[in-house]
Amino acid sequence: MSTSHESHLHHISQQFNTELSQLRDDFLKMGGMVEDQIVKAMEALENHDYELAEATRIKDKEVDQLELLIDEEANRVMVKRQPTASDLRLVISVVKMVADLERIGDEAKKIAKFALSMFDENGNFVAAPRGYVEARHIAQHVVAMVRDSLDAFARFDTEMALRIIKEDKRVDEEYKAATRSLVTYMMEDPRSITSCLSIMWVLRALERVGDHACNIAEHVIYLVEGEDVRHTPMDETERVVGR
Amino acid sequence: MNTMSTNIQSGIDYASISRKNRSWDIIFASLGIVVLFIAISTLLALFLDLAIRGAPQWTNPDFYTSFPSRKPLEAGILSAWVGTIMVMLVTAIVAVPLGVAAGLYMEEYADKNWFTDVIEINVSNLAGVPSIVYGLLALGLFVQTFGMGETVLVAGLVLALMILPIVIVSTRESIRAIPIELREAAYGLGANQWQTMAMYMLPAAKPGIITGAIVGLSRAIGETAPIITIGALSYIAFLPPSPIGGDFPFISFEWLNSGFTVMPIQMFGWVSRPQADFQITAAAAGAVLIVMTLAMNGLAIYIRYRARKS
Amino acid sequence: MSTDQTSTIQISQSAHQGGQAGKPSETREHWYLEPDGALRARVSNLKFWYADGTQAIDDVSMPLVDKKVTALIGPSGCGKSTFLRCFNRMHDLYQGVKYSGSINLLPEDENLIDLDANIVRMRVGMVFQKPNPFPKSIYENVIAGLKIRGIRKREVLDEIVETSLRQAALWDEVKDRLHQPALSMSGGQQQRLCIARALAVKPEILLLDEPTSALDPIATAKVEDLINELSGNVTVLIVTHNMQQAARISNYTAYMYLGKLIEYNDTNDLFQRPKCQRTEDYITGRFG
Repeated sequence: MSTSHESHLHHISQQFNTELSQLRDDFLKMGGMVEDQIVKAMEALENHDYELAEATRIKDKEVDQLELLIDEEANRVMVKRQPTASDLRLVISVVKMVADLERIGDEAKKIAKFALSMFDENGNFVAAPRGYVEARHIAQHVVAMVRDSLDAFARFDTEMALRIIKEDKRVDEEYKAATRSLVTYMMEDPRSITSCLSIMWVLRALERVGDHACNIAEHVIYLVEGEDVRHTPMDETERVVGR
Repeated sequence: MNTMSTNIQSGIDYASISRKNRSWDIIFASLGIVVLFIAISTLLALFLDLAIRGAPQWTNPDFYTSFPSRKPLEAGILSAWVGTIMVMLVTAIVAVPLGVAAGLYMEEYADKNWFTDVIEINVSNLAGVPSIVYGLLALGLFVQTFGMGETVLVAGLVLALMILPIVIVSTRESIRAIPIELREAAYGLGANQWQTMAMYMLPAAKPGIITGAIVGLSRAIGETAPIITIGALSYIAFLPPSPIGGDFPFISFEWLNSGFTVMPIQMFGWVSRPQADFQITAAAAGAVLIVMTLAMNGLAIYIRYRARKS
Repeated sequence: MSTDQTSTIQISQSAHQGGQAGKPSETREHWYLEPDGALRARVSNLKFWYADGTQAIDDVSMPLVDKKVTALIGPSGCGKSTFLRCFNRMHDLYQGVKYSGSINLLPEDENLIDLDANIVRMRVGMVFQKPNPFPKSIYENVIAGLKIRGIRKREVLDEIVETSLRQAALWDEVKDRLHQPALSMSGGQQQRLCIARALAVKPEILLLDEPTSALDPIATAKVEDLINELSGNVTVLIVTHNMQQAARISNYTAYMYLGKLIEYNDTNDLFQRPKCQRTEDYITGRFG
C-alpha cells in the first residue's frame, strides 16, 4: 500500500497534522537552503567572488541550526504521538534525510572554502587551468538532483525518486571521466597540480552531493512504499516502485 | 466565608450564586430532619409508653418464666415466647431454603419468557397480600382440608408462606447485585452452573440473603392475624414437648403437632380482658416483642455491615 | 529473535507469491497473512448475532498460531471483544445468541461452536478487563479451576500454585501471604493473579480481554512483560484498545472494523507497513 503526500494531514488530531506539516515544511525549507548553498558556492568559484564564498561559508551555520530544530521537532512528534505506519516512516525518514541535507550543506561549505583558498595573499584568484567546465556540468546535474529529490519528497513521487537513483550512476561516471582528464592534465603539466587538486576536491564534493540526493530519493521510496531500498539491486528497487 | 467573592474581570458574583444554590440544600436537609424526627419520636413514644406502663411486669424475672394466669400480676409470657421461637424456627426452616431455591431458580436457571414474567409479577404481588388472607388460606388448606389442627407446624407454615416473597425477592436482588465479573470468572474457568452457584454466587450473596431472611422473620414475629385465623389459643398453660432429649435418637418432632401461643396473640388476649392490670401485662409483653423485633433487625444490620467491610 | 526475523521475511515473500504480488490496488479491502508454523485454531466464516438480532461478527476467518500472541485491535464496537468471547463461548451465558461458521481447535480439528460450552471453557481460559479474583485467599483463587475439575490432592495443588504464580511473575510478591485475601492485593497483582488462575489449568488458548485497561502504567508494564514471557509457551489471543500495546506484545495482529476482519498480519509489518488503507487510517489515528 502506497502513501500519498497528503495522508499525514488527515488525522483526527488537528494538532498532529500541524506538527507533521511543520516538520515537512521545515525539511523542505532546509532543502531549499542547501540547494541554494551549492549554487552560491559554485557561483563564487566561477565568478571569483570572495564575498559570496565567505557568505556561503558562514551561512552553513544556519543550515546546521535548522538541522537541530528539525531533529528536535521529530523527537517531539515521537514522544507525543508514537507515530505508526506512514507517520512513523515520515518522521524516521525526515530524521535521516536531514542528515543528508546537512552533509550537502557541508559539501557546499567545502566548495566555498576551496573557492576562498584559491585566492592568493594579494587577493588574486588563481584559477585552475582545467576542470571548470566539468565542475559546472556536474554541479548543474547534482543541483537538479537535489531539487528533484526535494520535489519527490514533497509529492511522495517514487517514480521521480527512482529517476534520481539512476541519475546518480551517470554523475558517478561524469565524475570519473572528469578526474581522469584532470589527472592526465596534471601529468602533462605538474605546475598546475595544486590548483587542479583544488578543483578535484570540488568535483569530489559535488559527487558526494549527488550521493546524498540519491540517499534522499531512497528514503522517499521507503517513506511511500514502506520498503527499504538502500543496498538493494536496481531491479529490486524498480520492483518496489513499480508495485 | 468571603462574601466579597466577585470576579473582578467578569463581574460575576460567585458568592451570591453559591448562596442561592446552597439554599435548596438547606431546605431539603431541614425537611428530611423533620420527617426523620417525627418517625423516630413516634416509635420511641410508643415503645416508652409500653415500657413505662409495663414496667412492674417486665422488670420481674418471674414474668418470663410463668405461664399465663387469670390473675393479671401473676401472668407470665413463658408459653408465648417459647411458642414464638418454635414457630419462628419452623418458619425459618421452611421459608429460607424454599425462598433461596426459588430466587436462585428464577434468577439463574429459568428462561426469560412470559411464563416466568407472570411468576415474577405474582411473587412481587404476594408480598403485598394482606396477612389475614394467608391466615384464611392456612385455615382452609392446612387446618380443614389436611386436618393438621392448630399446631406449631401450621403456624410456622403460614408465616413461611407469608415471608416467602420477601426471601425470594431479597435472594434475587442479592444475586443480581453480584458483579457480573465474578460470575464470568467462575464460568470462564469451566465451572458449570451448579458449581458457579454453590461455590461462588451463593457465598457472595449470603449476607444479602441472610438479611432478607431476618427482615422477613422479624415481620413474621409480630404477625397476629393469620395465627388468630387458624385458631391459635391465647391461654396455654403448658409448653410444647422439647425437641431434644428423651429417648434415642434424642430428637423429637412432637412439638410440631403441639398447640401453642405466640407473643402477639398473648398480648391480644390480655388486651381484651376487662381487668385493668392486664393492660400492664400486655404492655410489658409488647415491650418485649418490640425488643425482640429490634434485636433481629439489629442482627440484620450487623450482618450487612460486616459483609460490606470485607 | 533471529529465527523470528527470518520467518518474518519468509512470510512476506510467501505472501507476495500467494496471489498478492503485482501492482496493488489502493483500495485493497482485506489482507490476510497465511502464517507459517503450527496453528492452534482456525476460525472459518464465523458469524455471530446477539439476542436482539444485531450481527456483531461478520464472516471472520483467521488462523491462531500455536504458542504465539495474537492481538485484536479496532475501534470501539468493532466486535473484537465479541470475537474473543466466542472462543470460550462466554456469550452462551446470555440467551438468544447465535453462531454460524466454525472455530476449529487444532490439531484435533474440533469445532468449538459444536462442543459443550463447559468443555470449551475448561480448554480455553480467559482473563477479563477488570481484575476479578474471587473474594477468597490467593491460594484458593489459583486452585479454583482445579477444584472445579475435581483435583483435590494437596501436594498437586501446592505445586501448581507455585508454578502458576511463578509463571505469572507473582510468586515472589505473594509467597509469604498465600492465604491472605486476594482482594487485599493491588489491582496489578490481582490481574496477574487472574492470569495465574487461568494458567493453573493449562489452557489450550488463553484469552485476554483488555487485561490492562484498568491498570496504571507500572502494573501495565508488568502484565505486558508477563504476556511477552508467555509467548512461546501459551497460545494467547488478546484484545486491546492500546495499539502500542498490541505492537509491543503480540506476534500477529488482526484489525477488525464493523464486525469484519480487515487485515491479519505479522505485527511488525502491520504497524510499519500495513497492507490496507483502513488499517493504516486506524493505526495512524486518521480514523473518523
